[in-house]
Parts: sequence; structure tokens; C-alpha cells
Amino acid sequence: MTYHFRQALLSMRGNVTATFATLTTMTLTLLMLGFVLLLTLNVDRTLEQLESQVEVAAFLRPGTDGAALLTQVRSLPQVRGATLATSEQVLDEMTRDYPYARDAAQLAGNPFPDTLRLRVGRVEDSRTVAAAVSALPGVQDVEYGAGYVDQTVRTLTAVRGAGYALVGLLLLGTLFNILNAVRVAMYARRNEISVMRLLGATRGFIRMPHVIEGVLLGLAAAALALALLTPAYLGLASRVQLFAPVFPIVQDLPTLLPILGGVGLLGVLIGLAGSLFASRRYLRELE
Amino acid sequence: MIQFKNVTLEYPVTRTLALDDLSLQVAKGEFVYLVGHSGAGKSSFMNLVLKRALPTRGEVRIAGEALTRYRGRRTALLRRRIGTVFQDNLLLDHLNAYDNVAFTLRVTGVPQREWAGRVTTALRTVGLEHKKYALPVQLSQGEQQRVAIARAIVADPPLLLADEPTGNLDPDHSREVLKVLQNVNLRGTTVIVATHARDLVETFRHRTLTLRKGRLVRDDPYGGYAL
Repeated sequence: MTYHFRQALLSMRGNVTATFATLTTMTLTLLMLGFVLLLTLNVDRTLEQLESQVEVAAFLRPGTDGAALLTQVRSLPQVRGATLATSEQVLDEMTRDYPYARDAAQLAGNPFPDTLRLRVGRVEDSRTVAAAVSALPGVQDVEYGAGYVDQTVRTLTAVRGAGYALVGLLLLGTLFNILNAVRVAMYARRNEISVMRLLGATRGFIRMPHVIEGVLLGLAAAALALALLTPAYLGLASRVQLFAPVFPIVQDLPTLLPILGGVGLLGVLIGLAGSLFASRRYLRELE
Repeated sequence: MIQFKNVTLEYPVTRTLALDDLSLQVAKGEFVYLVGHSGAGKSSFMNLVLKRALPTRGEVRIAGEALTRYRGRRTALLRRRIGTVFQDNLLLDHLNAYDNVAFTLRVTGVPQREWAGRVTTALRTVGLEHKKYALPVQLSQGEQQRVAIARAIVADPPLLLADEPTGNLDPDHSREVLKVLQNVNLRGTTVIVATHARDLVETFRHRTLTLRKGRLVRDDPYGGYAL
């Protein structure tokens, strides 16, 4: 093993440009991947929070049987819970937030209709539930914060998708770099490899230094990426928490560690898989 | 030890007929010359024995087993039982004589504690024990070829193939190398030497197989070069 390890280091030293190119793209890929994963984690948390807060409000026409409608909407599969607030209860609530509301009601009458308040299981279902409820007889109007919910979900999903697409491209770039690095290294060792084949070396023995090279590159890239990503994320998270406390930014280590560990492990796996594939392929080419 | 039965080898890309219905046998412990003009099929014979090629038709058997049965790891194991020496000695420039010879033991997984004894014995057999720390560039061509022979025999293979081992050497160095190969044969190793060197074949007489256009045209058990 010492021999293989030494050969791997010699090969990396002998092909500095290819090694550096591979290390750079691998580090960038892992950084990007880590960033996207952390973003996804926070997006999911934000969506969860939105989901727990989003409410569909159905305003009823005067004289409508609210209790019957309440039973009807509770039977909708997307609805997690529903309550009926009478116009008087709504006025009370409004008066708590806006004390002049009761004075206004005394002058012009209670303007608030009886209201059904519905909580949905998933934020994406708000629109469907709103459409279903608005079609019910006795419902005058429905509000569900469509503007900000839909847009937020769309934006966050798009950002997450774009991030994954970018990571996919970077992974591909990284793999090509590993293939190239191994190819250059094997070409440089072609005489030695040809002697090894004649002397009866197994394929595994010949490929081993290149596989070690891939794993070492993966380890180095993972270490670099984590060394950059961890402090950068924690710094950014504390700032976001300070200036926009409405976002539930994840900062607790037990949640973050599996993600960061996964990024590190992926680095090693990419290095291993890339070098296994490349050494197998180029050894065939040399034969 | 080696058996060729109606072996034809045609290289598919160039459509060259390298061996044409060749049948021969080499017994264990023999010293055999393979002679013939360039393109006669000497190297193709070697390539088949080393399983660097497979016959287009016919059958090659090594140690009683068909060549086609040596697959994957078994090909590597077959090659461990065959020492090889080529015209271009294929020594690794960055390793000294000792390390070049030990390289065989390294790649074949021989424990490191056995290396010193075996390498020293192999270098002594070729008369180069005193030059074990010399790099290939510090050795003459004859000495380099002897190191290549030491590398080929260090794992005690039962068969040694030498393809034009004296091709780059002057007559004195060529004789040195032939004497070493004869000594290896005296230890019980089967030796097959492909060569153009008429004077060597005439001087150190052994069974001589003459190939022409891939066919065996003469099998002289007492030696002699006749093309």
C-alpha cells in the first residue's frame, strides 16, 4: 500500500496542472452542492412555516348556514382544520387590533361577514381549496394570500431547481477533469504499466495508485469546500437572522452536520468513482 | 509445456497472416531457438504464449491448459510463470538494477522480506551483483539486458521467453547474454529465444525452429541456422 500511495503522490506532483484543475472544479462543485443543500434545508423550513401559517378565508353571504358549510369544507381532503367565525367574533378580533373598528361599526353597522377559516395540509393546495370553497353556495368571496404564497413557492422551487441543475453540470465537469487527470497520469506511466502487465501484475494492482489519487483529490476538495462553506454559512445565517428574523434559518449543528458530512463523503465518492471508471477505461486503451 | 495445434493468427486490422497453420511442441526444460526473417512470425509466437493475442484458428496450450481458459486474473497469473526479455530491455529508468529486479517481486505480491535474497541471487546469476545500485543509464547495453534477464528470472518462472535479446548488442555482449540464458536453462527453466543472430545459433547449439511466412519450415533438434 505504501508503494501505491507513493505512486499516487508522485503522479499528482508530476501532473500539477491536471491535479490543480481537478481540485478546483471538485472544490467548487462541493461548495455549490453544499450551498444548494443548505438552501434547500432552509427553503423547506420556510415552506413548513408558511404552511403552518397559511389560511384560506371564505366570506359568507348574510343568512347562509355557516355550520352546514363548515361540515362541508371539513370533508375536503386537503383541509387540515376549519373554524367558523361569526361576524361578531370577527369584529371583536378586529377591535383588538384596531380599536376604532367598533366605533366605525356603530356608525355604519358591522361590515364583517361570517367567515370560514381553513388550514390546508400543504401550502401548494391553497389555490385548489380556495377554488373548491368559492364554488360552494353561500360563499361570497375567498382570500388565501395567493399572491405571496404562490410566488414564494414558485421562486423557492425555481432557485432550488436551478441550484441542482448547476450542481449537476459541475459534477459532470468534475468527472471529466478526473478522467483527464487519470488519463494524463496513466499515459505518463505507460512504460511502467506495460512492464507491469508483462510481469504479471493484476489490473487492480496497476489501477490502485490512480484510485488512491482520485480519493486523495476527493478528500482534499471536500476538506477545502467544508473549510470555506461552514464559516461562510454560519456567518451568513447569523446576519440573515439578525436582519430578517422572519426566516427560520437553520443554525443548529446536529441538523447541519449530516449535510456537511454528506458533502465531504460525496467528494470522496466522486473521486473514487471517477478514478475507478477512468483507470479501467484507460488501462484498456493502453493494452 | 507449450503446444501449438494448427494455429493460425491473422491480425484483423491489417489482415496480416502472422502464423499459418503452425503446429509445434516445446517440452519442459528445453532450450529452443526460434529463427526466421522479420515478419516470419517469431514475435507473434511470443505474443500468443504471453496471451497478448489469441489464435484466429487452432489451439494453443500452455502447461496443458488451453490459452482461452486463461481469463482475467488468470492471465496475470499465467504471465507470472513466464519470464520475458525483449530487445528493448524495458528497464524503468528511475530505478536502479536492484529495484528493477525487485519490481517483479513487488507486482507479483512476493513478501518484502524475501526480496533481498532473491534479487541478490538473480543478479549473481547474471554476474551483476556488484552493480545493484547502478541506474540503467550507468550500465552498458549488455549489462542492461542482463538486468532484464535477472528481472525475468527472479520469480523462478518455469518458462523464459527472450525476443531478440541480443538485437541491440555487439558480439561480445551478445555472447555474454547467451551464456546467461544457457545458465538459466541449466537450472531447469525452459528457454525460448527468438533471434536473427546466426553466429550465436551456430555457436551455442540447441534445438532450432525455423519459421517462414508464419509456417514452421524446419525443426532441427541439433541446431544450426538455415533459412
